[in-house]
This record gives sequence, C-alpha cells and structure tokens, in this order.
Amino acid sequence: MRAVPNNRLSFYQTVFLSFSLVFSVQATPANKSSLEKHYEQFLPGSLNRCNTCHQPSAVKAPESLEEFPHNPFGEHLRQLGAKLREEGKPRNLETRLKLLAGEDSDGDKVPNETEILLGHNPGEASDFPSVTELNGFANLQNRFQEFLTSYRWRPFDRLTEVPLPKVNGSGWSRNPIDVLVMAEREKRKLSHQKEAKKTVLLRRVYLDLIGLVPTPEELAAFDADEVPDAFDKVVDRLLEDQRYGERWGRHFMDIWRYSDWGGWGEQVRDSQPHIWKWRDWIIESLNNDKGYDSMIAEMLAADELPATVKPDIRAVGFLARNYKLLSREQWLEDSVKHTAQAFMGITVGCAKCHDHMTDPVSQSDYYRFRAIFEPHQVRIDQVPGELDRKKDGLVRVYDAETNHLTYFFVRGDERKADTNRVMKPGVPAALGGNLGGELEVQPVEIATEAAFPEKRDFVIEGILRDSSKLMSEAREKLKETNSAQTRELKLELNAAMARHQSLEAVLAAEKLEDQWQKGSASWTEKAREARLAQKSLVVSEAELKMHKAGISAGAAAEKCNEARLKLEENELSQKSGGADSSTNSSKAVEALAKLEKEFNSATNKLSEAQVALVRAEIDFLSGSGTDYKGREIVNYPARSTGRRLALARWLTHPDHPLTARVAVNHLWLRHFGRGIITTPENFGRSGNPPSHPALLDWMAKELVSNQWSLKKMHRLILTSSTYRMASNTDAASSTIDPDNIYLWRMPQRRMEAEIVRDNILHVAGSLDTQIGGPEIDHNQGLTSLRRSIYLRVAPEKEVEFLKVFDGPGVTECYQRHSTVMPQQSLALINSPITLAESRRLASRLTRECGEDSKLVVDRAFRKMLGRFPTEEEREICLKFLSEPRSASAQIASTESKFPVPAVGSEPGLLLEKRARSLEHLILVLFNHNEFVTIR
Amino acid sequence: MKNPDSNCHGLSRRSFLADTGMGFTGLALGAMFFKEGSAKAGPAESKSPDGKIHLPPRAKSVIWIFLCGGVSHLESFDVKPALNQYAGQSIGETPFKKVLETEGKQIIGGNPKHGNRKVIMPLQTGYKTYGESGLVVGDWFENVGQCADELAVVRSLWTIHNDHGAQLTWQTGRHPRELNHPTLGSWVSYGLGSLNQNLPEYVVLGVPTGDCCGGAFTHAAAYLGPQHAGVRLNVDPKNPMPFIAPADGGITREEQMANLSLLGKLNHLAGIDYPDDKDLLARIKSYELAFEMQSSIPETLQLDRETEATRQLYGMDRKETRSFGEQCLVARRLVERGVRFVQLFHGGGGGGDWDAHSEIKSNHTKLAMQVDKPISGLLKDLKQRGMLDETLVVFGTEFGRSPGAEGSGRDHHPQAFSSWLAGGGIKRGIVHGATDELGFAAVENRHYVTDIHATVLHQLGLDSRKLEVPGRKRLDMDHGEVIEQLLA
Repeated sequence: MRAVPNNRLSFYQTVFLSFSLVFSVQATPANKSSLEKHYEQFLPGSLNRCNTCHQPSAVKAPESLEEFPHNPFGEHLRQLGAKLREEGKPRNLETRLKLLAGEDSDGDKVPNETEILLGHNPGEASDFPSVTELNGFANLQNRFQEFLTSYRWRPFDRLTEVPLPKVNGSGWSRNPIDVLVMAEREKRKLSHQKEAKKTVLLRRVYLDLIGLVPTPEELAAFDADEVPDAFDKVVDRLLEDQRYGERWGRHFMDIWRYSDWGGWGEQVRDSQPHIWKWRDWIIESLNNDKGYDSMIAEMLAADELPATVKPDIRAVGFLARNYKLLSREQWLEDSVKHTAQAFMGITVGCAKCHDHMTDPVSQSDYYRFRAIFEPHQVRIDQVPGELDRKKDGLVRVYDAETNHLTYFFVRGDERKADTNRVMKPGVPAALGGNLGGELEVQPVEIATEAAFPEKRDFVIEGILRDSSKLMSEAREKLKETNSAQTRELKLELNAAMARHQSLEAVLAAEKLEDQWQKGSASWTEKAREARLAQKSLVVSEAELKMHKAGISAGAAAEKCNEARLKLEENELSQKSGGADSSTNSSKAVEALAKLEKEFNSATNKLSEAQVALVRAEIDFLSGSGTDYKGREIVNYPARSTGRRLALARWLTHPDHPLTARVAVNHLWLRHFGRGIITTPENFGRSGNPPSHPALLDWMAKELVSNQWSLKKMHRLILTSSTYRMASNTDAASSTIDPDNIYLWRMPQRRMEAEIVRDNILHVAGSLDTQIGGPEIDHNQGLTSLRRSIYLRVAPEKEVEFLKVFDGPGVTECYQRHSTVMPQQSLALINSPITLAESRRLASRLTRECGEDSKLVVDRAFRKMLGRFPTEEEREICLKFLSEPRSASAQIASTESKFPVPAVGSEPGLLLEKRARSLEHLILVLFNHNEFVTIR
Repeated sequence: MKNPDSNCHGLSRRSFLADTGMGFTGLALGAMFFKEGSAKAGPAESKSPDGKIHLPPRAKSVIWIFLCGGVSHLESFDVKPALNQYAGQSIGETPFKKVLETEGKQIIGGNPKHGNRKVIMPLQTGYKTYGESGLVVGDWFENVGQCADELAVVRSLWTIHNDHGAQLTWQTGRHPRELNHPTLGSWVSYGLGSLNQNLPEYVVLGVPTGDCCGGAFTHAAAYLGPQHAGVRLNVDPKNPMPFIAPADGGITREEQMANLSLLGKLNHLAGIDYPDDKDLLARIKSYELAFEMQSSIPETLQLDRETEATRQLYGMDRKETRSFGEQCLVARRLVERGVRFVQLFHGGGGGGDWDAHSEIKSNHTKLAMQVDKPISGLLKDLKQRGMLDETLVVFGTEFGRSPGAEGSGRDHHPQAFSSWLAGGGIKRGIVHGATDELGFAAVENRHYVTDIHATVLHQLGLDSRKLEVPGRKRLDMDHGEVIEQLLA
C-alpha cells in the first residue's frame, strides 16, 4: 500500500476508512522516508519498500515487530541504534545507514550500500548484484559520492553557515544571493540575461514594493539619474514609503489568512468583527520594520507578552480569525493546521488521525500542539469613544479558566476522546532541530486592565457620560414640549435621573470593592446609596409604566365609547328601515366586542401597574441594606497558561530550523513569482524540494542575523544583480531550462487582483491614499477610491472584480495562482470602474495636452504602460483617435451616468470629436497585456 | 519598425503574428458550434492533469437539478404506504421499531434540534404506478412519473449532516464546516477542461444555496482555481452575468469592435518583444472569447426563438411553472451549445424552500407544482431531440424528511433519501437500493452522496482518482464508488 501525503483528511473520514483496507497507524513509514531521504534519487524504486529492512510478513497489516520482523540488514540497523543510544550519540536513521554502508549484513559478500545502489536487497543473501553490474559500479559510486558532498537540504536541522561556492562570472555578482544563483546556473551551463532597461526595472520594483506604477515624472527622474547607486536609492526610498506596508500587508494577509467576519444575517459565524485592526497592525508593523520574530510573538501571544515589550493586542487577529461559532472543533483544528503551515510550512494538521505519512510528526505530536491552543477563546473589548461593541471594539484572545484538557482522539474522531490520555502542550521534537520538543510553559499574570476590561477608566467614564447624555436629552425634551406630553416626559426625566444616580452609586461601590474595601464605612454608605437609588429607579419606572397604562386605558375607553355610539346609531337606523344595516350592525357588534376586550386588557394592565407602583413605593420606603444589584459585567481570568507564549518563543528562537526558511521563501516568492520551494506552505517530504537549497539557507541565516528585519532582506534581494535582470527570453537558455527555474532571466508575472484595481485608480489620479480604517463594504468595490486592501474579504462577501482576478481565498491563500479567464476581459472592458477611470484620465490628459494628440498618446503610454509608444504604436493610436464616431455615439456619451470632469469652457471641435475616442483609447490601454503584466 | 527595446533574438515579426492569428478581423461572429466530447489539453494555465479521457464516455453533459431544503422522499420517489397504515402511532409501537437505532449514528456535529420524531405522519399526497417499469411516484411528481421508464431511481442515499450545510455536502461530499472543496461541476470542468468554447464550461442557474448553508461554495472550485468555478447566469438576456455589457450602456457594439481591434493590434505589436509570453496568447484568446460571450450568452437566453409547443412542454405558458420552466429550457439550450455541466437550483436562499418543518402538504404541493412539469418537459424535450442519450440528468436534494411528524411538517432526515438519474448511458426504468418499510434508513445498497458523483464522472469518462491535484489528497469517501447497477 502506498504511503501518500494527506493534507485534507478530517477526523470523521477515518470512521469510514475502517470499512476499507487500512494502513496500520502503528507502521513507521517515517523510517522508509528516511531511507528515501538519505539516498534520494539514488534509491531504486524496487528498494523503496518496507522489505528492504523487514522480512515479508504473513500478517496483512502488521502492527508490531513480532508480526513484521527485520531481515539481517534491518536487524543490524536496529542493534546499531541501541548501541548509539547507550553511547549517547546521534542515532537517526541516516547516520546509521552511513555507518553500515560498508558492512555486509546479509553475508552475500557485497557491501550494503553497493547492493542498495545497484537495486539489490541488502538484507537478503540470495539477492546480490551480478559481476557485470559490479563492473559498471564505479561510475555510479562516484556520482553518489558527489551527491553526498553536495549541499544537502535539511529543513529540520538548525541553520549553519553556508559556504559560498566559487563562481566564474564573479564580476556580475553584487551580493551572495547572486553568487549562489550563479553557482546553480553554471552547473547547468546557463548564461543569463543582461540588466533590464531602466524604465522596466523601475516599474518592476515600484510594483513589487508599493504596488503602484511610477509616474512619468518618477520614470524621467530615474532615467536621468546617472549615479551607480541610483537604483539602490530608489529601493531605499520605496522601503520607507508608507505604501510599502499596504503592498506587503496584503501579501502577509494572504499567508496569515486574513478574513473579515462572515455569518448569517447579523450572526457572526466565522472570524470576528472589527478585525480590520489586525490588518492595520500588519501595515504599521511592516512600515516600522518590526522584526518578523516580534510579529509572530505578538500574533500568537500578545496577551501574554510582558508589558515591557509593549505588545500590540491587535496582532492576535491571527488567532481570532479562526473563530467558528458552529464548531469549536473546527476552530481548534484550523488553529493547529494554519499556525503550523504559516510559520513552519509543515502540514501538522495531517496528523490528527494518524502519524504523518511523510514527515516526522506523530499523532501524539498533533494533540500536544493542539493543547497549546485548547484554553484560548476570543472576545471583543470596548474601545475609548464608542462603548457599543457592535459599532467598534478590539478583538482579542485570552485563556479561559476551563477547557484546558486536551485528549487524544482515537483515529482522530472527536467522538472518541481517550480520557485516559491527557496531552500536555508540546511541539513536534523533530521540527525543532536542537531545540527539541519540550516547551517551557510558565503561567502568565494578566494585567488588571486586561482581566477586568469593563472596569477600565474610560469605560466607567463613558458609561457615566452616556447616562448623563440621556438625562440631558430627557431634560431638553421636557423643555420643548407642549403641555400634553409634560407629565410623561417629566416621568421619563425622573427615571433617567434615577438611573444615573443608581449607576453612579453602583460604580462607586464597585470601585471600593475593587480596592478591597468591602465592609468599610465608606463602602457601606455607597452600597446603601446604590440600593436605595435602585429602588428609587424601580419606583420611577413603575410610575412611568402606570402613566402610560393609564393613557392606553383611556384611549381604549374612548374607542369603546365611539363604537358603542356607532352601534346605537346603527340600531336606530335599522329601526327606521335602512337596508344594509344588518351587515353593518353585525360588523359593528364584532368591532365593539373586540374593542371591549382590548379595553379590559388595558384596564388589567393598568391595575397591574398600579399594584407594581405601590409595591415599589413600599419597598423604597422600607429603607435599604447593602445588597445592591451589581453591574452585569464579565471578568476574565487573572492568569493565562503561557502556552502560546512558549510556542512563540520556540518558533522565534534563532536556532529554529523552519521559521526563517519559510519566511524568506515567502519573500522570494513575491519578488520572483516563484518560491525557491514552490509549495511555500509545505516544506515537508510531500511538498516540493528547493531549487536553491544553499541560497534559501543563506538568506534564512541572514534574516536571523539581522534581527529578523524584513526590510533588510528586501533590500538584499532587490539590489542583487539577479533581481535586475531583464525578463526577455533567450532561445538557448530556454532549451536548457524552459521554466527558468535557475533564473537565467527575471520571470514575468501578472499583477495580483488588488494591484490591477489599485493601478486603474492610480494612473487616472483617482486613488484615495488614506491608510487604514474599517473594512469597506464589498458592494462598493467598483465605486470606492481606496486601495483594494481595505475592501472587505469574508466568506460570501467578496468583491466580484477581485475574485475574477484570482483574489484571495477566504480559507487559505498561501500563494496566488493567476489565471487567464474571459471574465477578466469582460471586467476590464465593461466594468464601471474602468469606464469611469478611462473618462477621468482622458479628460485629464486633454487638460494637460490640449490639441496635441501625439503628446496625448505619448503621455497615455507613459502613464499606463511605463514607456513611450513605438512609431508604429503611435501611428495606430493616432489613426484611432481621428476616426469619425457616429453621431449617436456622441449623444450616448453625454447621457452617461458617470460624471465627467469638464474638459474646458470652450472645447474646440477637434477636442470634442476626440474626447470619446480618447476615452476609448485609454480603455484599450487598461486592457493592454502590458498593463497587468510585471516584466 | 522594431521596438528599440526589443531583446528578442531571431524571431521575426511575421512569424509571431502568424502564430497568433489576426484576432478580431478574422473572427466569425455569432457562430455557434457544438464541441465534440473529447477532452482537450487547454492553454498553459488549464491544469487538467493529462488532458485525456480516462474511460470511454457515455455522456457529454450533465444537468444537475438540486432542490434546496430537503424534499420528502416518502411522498416522491420512495413512497411508503406503511405510513398510512400506521399513521398516528409511535414508531416504537410498530413492528419496525428497530429503525430507530440508526438515528444519529453517522452524523457529524449534529444539530440536536433535528430528529427524534416518533409519531408517524401519514402520506400527505397520493401515489400512482407509472410506465412499464411500474415505478411508484407520489402525486406531487406526477408529470415526472410519466417519464418513469427513463429514470433510474436511487432510494438508498444517506448523508453526514443533519442541517442545511448538507446542501454543500451534496455538491462537494464534505461537511460544511470545512467550507470550500471543489464541487462536482468544477471537477467536470477540470477533467474535461478547455477554454476554447464561447460559453463557460460550467453554468449555474436559479438561486443557489443561501449563505447560511454553503452559499457560493456550492458552485465554486476551491483549489482547482476560479477558471473551473460555475458561472452564474440570470435567465434574463438583458442582465445575464456581471460585466457582460458595458456598465453604462454607452458603448455601441461597433465601438467595442473597434476598441478590441485596436487592442488586438497593440497586443500583437507589444508581444513581439516577448514571444514566449504564454499569458499574452491566452489573453488574446480570452478577449475573443469574452467578445463572443457578450452575444452568445444573451442569445442562449433568448427563449422567444423556441416554438410554442416547446414552451408549453416546459410549462412556460403558466404562471406557476414559468420561472423554473425557463430555467430548464435554458439548461437544454446550454447543453446543446456545448456546456458541460448545468447546475440548476430551485428554492435556494435561507434554509431552502422545500424545508417543510410545518405545513408540508401545502409547501410541497406548491413547490412541486413549480418544478414537476418543467422537469418532465426537459426530459421529454431531450428525448425527442435525441439528446437524452448523451445528457445525464440528475435530480437531487440534500436529505429526506422524517417519517415522524414535526407538527404539520416533517423534520430533516439524513439517514435516507432519494435521487434519480436519467439519460447519459444510465439504465432506464429501474430502482436501485431500498429503505426500510417506514423510509427511515437506507438498508439495501446504501450509498453516500459521492457515489452519485463517481457515477456521473464515470459516464463522462473520468476517474476522480486520476484527477487528484498533488498535495490535495482525497479520501475514499471523497471519491465515492461508481454505482455499477445504474449503468446501461
């Protein structure tokens, strides 16, 4: 049975797996994996089986060594392992394979490794290579030795210094990135493209760093700047631009799965409201070049970090977004899965139901990892200025007191929790390199403000202020009223005042309690005051209620009287012979009955209200004790478990093998369109191996050495010669490496959805550059002028235009895959936004260039495509502009819904004729392949 | 004149233009043509793994009808006279009390509010026997009943969710708390993928499942990519889909042609420097297709081109059946024009119109009236045009309804429900699988919903195991098993 990677296995599926032949969860495919890992492509397929180390088994799905005994080779390995353990030496399988390479375990006179490389079983004496095979072995052996000495990709080993290889064309290299890229090219005899043209390069780096194309002025300035480090200066300037945070914010929102809240009607079922603050934190942190390690720590444990590092609680949106109203189980599952994939690039989630098939993560590891998240819950705290959490609030996580017992689920079935196995929080040891799998978990004291959010000063002040406001409003109403309403409004005012008084007293008493003064004299005074005020409030409310009931009863009485009169009239007219009165009369009788019923009900209510008032007054007069009714607020635990903090520390330790590697791969992916590992969310065996393992490791080490500064890494990448290459093809190179894996030229990419939309607005001069703020309704995607990063993205609530351009998925989006679809073409030729911005830009160009059509065409190309048109292009466009439009077309233009800025007070005939053609030319340029392509 | 920026080596302008064709000047407008059923390897971005059919196909297209809310199987295609016999009694008092043991057994994260209905409610409509096959059908579906000899009814389905997220489960095989997974339609598009037609591969009609219960995921493609997602069409030639026409209507068709012609010329010129740009070629093609779609899609929706007899066949002459009749007719037209997978929703939004927790008699009577004639019309129309052999029609819902009463209605019932298939190489006039006497649980030849998926894919010539995307392992339960007994 093949061992296969399994990303999407959910617990309940395994219930049904038992109906089919199943892979024993006790088997160790990880050992087979290690065999594969050591020999890689040198392991013949026939030996990539359990039988290389085990004897064939009579039992169908063996679950123990007794049922599946070793052959001599396997036995030899096992004995060696025991010996090494005793000696305290490393005993991983690869080490042991190396040590036994020259031994002859099965006694057939051929060394183990020779047998393996030639495709013969080292544990079976009757299986040995022939003389011919042995004669031809030297070549294979050399290649294998070369392979053993080459740079090995060991993602679970601590990062070490990467030796820079010697390369021939060293004049080309600007920094070690170039050297390492060059080395791989030279191995394959690849040359490389020369440096890109200045305007191409500028547009590329602008789009990469801030997501907006350079203006004609910026292009001209760079073109004219002759100093050797002109480009470096541009890079530095753009890294300090606030728009960098927006551009790269969206990238990290992809990786960290940003989602606004989704649900059914007003009910929140996925993610949380106000989580845009997490997005603002991302933008700000990136602009401030906050260390990537600090970002991780805040996202996982801002609530547990010490106050001295000034943690920003907005960051925990990373966890809060996993919230699932309808399934705590799914919530926790997502937390495990995506935390592991975002930061470690390992599909730990696969081990929920069984040991991981290809990576060193056991099912127990999964539940230990889950235990880290088991206690956490989500809540929304009030923020200054707006106490209504529906309108504004701060989303945050906290460890709740209960539910921190994690059980092992047998076969991953949540209904089969093994309550005898309580899992302590931990991490997969094999993923930590020398850090191992133990977490140092220390409980954390929670600051008062965080544990008692509703006692914060601004909340108390806010409550009182709101209550005061209600009082003043009531007072105002009373002042302005006519006499009919006076009594009621007076009573309303009384109630408001009583409410305020009781609130003040309750808050005062509460404050004293919080200062451990319950029982003191001042507390007693306040408590009594509070109780009395509350009783007084009851009285006021009862008075008000009675008053209203009285009015209702009165109104009901009047209606009855009217109806009675009407009935009497009817009877009279019947007596005097009115024809239709019988039907009228039965209707009237019915109506009267109904009204009498209503009157009875109203009088009942009135008496009830009277009784209630009397009771309230009696209660009030009976004085008060200190048993006032306290505020109904929620307090939170004063301690947090510290588990997430421990995880964060483990992940961001400089020795952690995976965190930095994953991070730099994500950066590289977004500068080159292709990661060094093309499965950025899966660095395991079932993902793809790195094209440049040494480069990846070198950059990762560099990141850590530079305090995890992302900007420094961007700078290194962007100022390299590799990044500056032209992106044109070359026939010879393309034959050797058609997919450009070894970077003989710069790859070309299509802009992501957000950048397409942003640049439509940007080149037309319409882009609103305001940074941050609440998410914008997705239905405004085509009318809002803000950057796309601020548009809502939530389950069922996405902007159609962005979706069409492969916008972010709401469940995961570790990398974008761009497609070409007719819906994209339709969107660009027909959508309101492209039409409106075409008009705007056309009118702007006309203002700037007047009748000079040649200038207009040049400027349009320059603005939109970043270059001047060729002679041929200019000719074609000028011809297009001068072609006559039908009269009907002109009329249609003026009837347009989109307001067109005035061309000028007295547009010449030429301009008028040209206006519509120019709009269409601009529209065509928005649709131009170059507009959406990053060369 | 060559672009001075050009870095291209040895590729002449002429050869480049020859490769890509001349775009709009050579385009035959308004030509509709039906694609043959063989798969094509699409342009570079189409991720069809091998571009080949895996098995000999029997069907070319699928019409996937889905009634939202849970149609009662007991009074439609799995009629249970025993419910009349034991009406008013508690199930525990009948000879069939063992059926209760199946309740809640295979449900994931069940909603405790549903189920546990003990008192038997009698059938809320009558039933008759139809055709040579002698199929018993509830009176609510008497028109469909007339087509009994075309149908293969499956009575033994079960599903894992007892809430309306089961609508998503029907489309993807997965529990709704996992949000999106590729739908059957997207697998079909992916497996047979091609961008060469002037209509989308996979079209969605009607009002899909509401946001509460899967929403857009019920016609999406998840990790297969948005190019394989269903394209929603309104049955309104003036407003069929987003961006199909210029936003303010101010651009005439001639102007658009002129624009797109200019675009074609400029793209060709700019592309000379980048002759390897596959995206450019694909994009040029995509504009041609988009332009086509602007007319082909409205044309498909122009139902006045059909004869009066056809319109009556679908019930378009009557108020109750007009809307769904139109959609069924559009489905036929789409299939005629080469669309592979038409997903036709009825009663979508909220929990689904068919969700009769109360007043099931009036609810199902009213709703069945809307769909019964149109569906039968569709089957008859396909048959008389000789299209039924190659068009697989599937009738589905998310679960059945409880034999026990919930007031005047019936509750959700995932343990047993029915579906039928017709055409596309499916055996005619048979019944497969059975529930117990009360219709409480599927007992004979039990099938999870993905068995229907596997059967559909099989008829199209696809093996889902060969379509798996690297890194996205699917389990046996995702693949399902082909229901061999249904195949002709």
